[in-house]
Amino acid sequence: MAEVTLNFPRRDARDKLRGRTRYTIDRDVSGVLHAALLRAPVPSARILRIDTAAARAMPGVRAVVTAEHAPGRHGIGIADHPLFAAGRVRYHGEPMAAVAADTLAQAQAAAAAIVVELEPLPAVITMAEALGPSASLVHPDWRDYEVLVEGGAHGGNVAWEATVLRGDPEAAFARADVTVVESLFRVGRQNHLSFEPRAAIAAFEDGRCHIETSTQAPWTVRNVTAHLLDVLPSAVRVTVPAVGGGFGLKFDCALEPYAALLARHAEAPVRLVNSRQEEMLTCLSRENAEIRIRSAVTKDGEIAGREAVVLMDCGAYGGEQIFLTTMTAHTLGGNYKLGSVRLASRAVYTNTAPNGAFRACNGTYNTFALERHTDEICEAIGMDPLEFRRRNVLGDGNLGATGQIFEGDVLGPMLDRMAGLRAARPSKQAQAGDRLYGRATTVGTWFVFVGPSAATVNLNADGSATLVTSGVEIGSGSMMQGLPQIVAHTLGLKPQDVVVRAADTDAGGYDVGVGGGRTTVSLGAASMAAASEVRRKLLDVASGMLQTPPEGLTLANGRVEIAGRPGTGASIAEVAVQAQKLVGPIAGSGSFTGPGVAAMPGCAAGHFIDALDIPVFAVHECEVAVDPDTGHVEVLSYAVVQDVGRALNPRAIYGQIQGGVTQGLGYALHEEISIGADGSIRQSGFETYRVPLAQDVVPVEISLFEGAPSIGPLGTKGAGEVPILNVAAAIACAVANATGRRVQELPLTPPRVLELLLGRGLPLDFPHIATAWDDNLLRPLAAASWQGRRMAGPDAPGP
Amino acid sequence: MALLLTVNGEDRTSGHGAMTPLVDVLRDEFHLKGAKPVCREGFCGACTVLLDDHPVMACLLPAGLAVGARIRTVESLAPDGALSPLQQVMEEHDVVQCGMCFPGMLMSLSGFLAVTPRPTRDEVKAALSGNVCRCTGYERIIDAVLSL
Ligand code: FES
Ligand code: FES
Repeated sequence: MAEVTLNFPRRDARDKLRGRTRYTIDRDVSGVLHAALLRAPVPSARILRIDTAAARAMPGVRAVVTAEHAPGRHGIGIADHPLFAAGRVRYHGEPMAAVAADTLAQAQAAAAAIVVELEPLPAVITMAEALGPSASLVHPDWRDYEVLVEGGAHGGNVAWEATVLRGDPEAAFARADVTVVESLFRVGRQNHLSFEPRAAIAAFEDGRCHIETSTQAPWTVRNVTAHLLDVLPSAVRVTVPAVGGGFGLKFDCALEPYAALLARHAEAPVRLVNSRQEEMLTCLSRENAEIRIRSAVTKDGEIAGREAVVLMDCGAYGGEQIFLTTMTAHTLGGNYKLGSVRLASRAVYTNTAPNGAFRACNGTYNTFALERHTDEICEAIGMDPLEFRRRNVLGDGNLGATGQIFEGDVLGPMLDRMAGLRAARPSKQAQAGDRLYGRATTVGTWFVFVGPSAATVNLNADGSATLVTSGVEIGSGSMMQGLPQIVAHTLGLKPQDVVVRAADTDAGGYDVGVGGGRTTVSLGAASMAAASEVRRKLLDVASGMLQTPPEGLTLANGRVEIAGRPGTGASIAEVAVQAQKLVGPIAGSGSFTGPGVAAMPGCAAGHFIDALDIPVFAVHECEVAVDPDTGHVEVLSYAVVQDVGRALNPRAIYGQIQGGVTQGLGYALHEEISIGADGSIRQSGFETYRVPLAQDVVPVEISLFEGAPSIGPLGTKGAGEVPILNVAAAIACAVANATGRRVQELPLTPPRVLELLLGRGLPLDFPHIATAWDDNLLRPLAAASWQGRRMAGPDAPGP
Repeated sequence: MALLLTVNGEDRTSGHGAMTPLVDVLRDEFHLKGAKPVCREGFCGACTVLLDDHPVMACLLPAGLAVGARIRTVESLAPDGALSPLQQVMEEHDVVQCGMCFPGMLMSLSGFLAVTPRPTRDEVKAALSGNVCRCTGYERIIDAVLSL
């Protein structure tokens, strides 16, 4: 087959650099109405009355809608989420009504004129409150909700509980030859702060709803919007212009149903765009979490047993956190060989804004917890942290937490690769000067979220090909680079001769969405299958033209040649023209889904994914300087060895790694969300929510590790999601190394680091996590023999 | 009262009031959608345009205060489709991701490079301190600038 064109330049760069790209927020639609949402000013209340009469009478107002116009609920795992607060407000900022008017100012004025009478109810703002003995319930009626996926345990304010049990941890902890190490961790939320806010434009055309939106998951938007509007999914069409950043924020349906509902009532197109303040206050953030982890380790560093309880705050509605309880097994239970293990992962309802998916999701803080815990183990048994990792990282044939068998030695050689990088460059210790110097090396395990994708390839008579999928370009370049490369490689074309159709659910088949590193893998595999069908048909026709059997033909550089006799064949365009005459235009279709890797039966309960189809590994290393007077942490150097399977676009992957590490530095060091007693998020914009600036960043030294097993097309793995995975872990371990203090919380803002240095912080204490692991479970483990069965719900889960 | 503005070398009339933020006049009235209203508070730099060669945040600037000044937006950098050298190195280094910050970033850098044609790495970083990028992690953008 033809060579893959590496480092193919992305075709969207030029217009983006010229300010010509039209993102959803830039679209002009004639006669479009502007919409505003009325949001709840309290975290918990009974709604006694909503009176929209005055608002309806205001100038320019075309439609006002509330819960009565869209009574359905959606969700992941459990349908717990109504479009509008219905009867009850569950979080500060929850939409109670929506207005469409001729201008945005009119819509906002009318929203403000809606009369709402609320009776305050007790609220649970923290997970400690939510799990406390007399906690009020966020969803008192949860038993009435439709269960979309069987298997999770629910109860009280626990939206979903997933558990893992492999081997006999009880016995491991009771062994005489082990040291037991226990660690506690707490992390806050992280806001994606994608530059384009969530935005949607909806209009009805020929009885169907057309939504243009800034999303990563057009089919989820289609299905959820249809469900909430109570129409057939086929009555909704979703198209997606260029997306100004997603990072997981746009992996769920968001504003689209409001815009669609208003468009239906106003009988005109409606545009709804979140303000930056709304984005901050209602962002589907990476969730805050609390973790207790204990390990039983021998003096040689063998991990005989491990147990953990992870509490994840899902906010007022379950959403992605229900799915993400699954990922505790594969991250906290990843990285290392474990003799036995038990894990409980619980998504907890609170009266706060719902959380969601954010690049590598709970992998980031589970890796932080695991790697800091590992360093605490090393200290307790007196072993060098690098030596401990070399001995214990997962290798070929080792078991994961759920009993899946890992293939190939990947992490071990990656640690060696990092050792090579370390040896090749001088330490930056001198730059620390009088400050405290620390360094750390951490490992991480994540995955490619596979799942269904579809693709069609049309071969055109001019020798170009058109690729039709529901994939979205969110900035990573996968749709602009990886996909055309894969199709071009299969057909012997140049990647620039492959046109990629922008996502349109009327044109491309079902797709889970762009996220979780799945674009190049799932959409890539579907595209490769579609292109292979085109290839077969093309060679068939060419075979007749050239009087040579298909096996004797090659495809390269836009030509079909008789093998070994260059110049004797025909151009692909000529064959395509001939095909149109003889058999009709050539097209091919392809599809893909995860093959499903086996776990050990009975190990995992309540999991959406029992084992990882494509694990991805990372090794990160950094050096820091900590100012003992101010608590400021400066990153002196940062290095990444990343398992990429095969790199089609090394330059683009470097860009993803530099960008992902930078987001991770923000998470580790200064991006902080705090929630007031009124349940509202205190940070309302760029001024109070501190993301990394150019001066906060260092160039990341990068080594791509190729050759690890992958079922991805051409051996690829997703490379965009993983770079953020162990940044917080590396920074926290390095700060602990520099200060000699127990780092248990993120972000490591100067005040928090000073507290550590001065020994002023209160030790972490989680009364809502029971000391005996079993006491945390809603469903005793004996009864947990659960067969993973996923039912079709309107929302597709994923990171 | 109409406002007379000079945008990318052209005289244009705006029907907006003098207090309307310049970014809205540029986008909604003149259809110059390069400048992005990302924060509307002067913190992100995505709306940066040049006013008499100085980078300013168009979200905070009342259009009335731009009367009489030369306004330049990102759309002026490649008037006939030929990328400016700065745009060219960005394309060559494959640094564009979602792209939303680039219009502002390019205008800040254009203003800066006009007065500092041979900058150091630290100077470029300082020049970008008012322009947030959530995707790229900056360093490769800076490499591109230094390759000029
Ligand atoms: S929109 Fe003007 S600085 Fe952010
Ligand atoms: S490229 Fe997305 S914000 Fe800079």
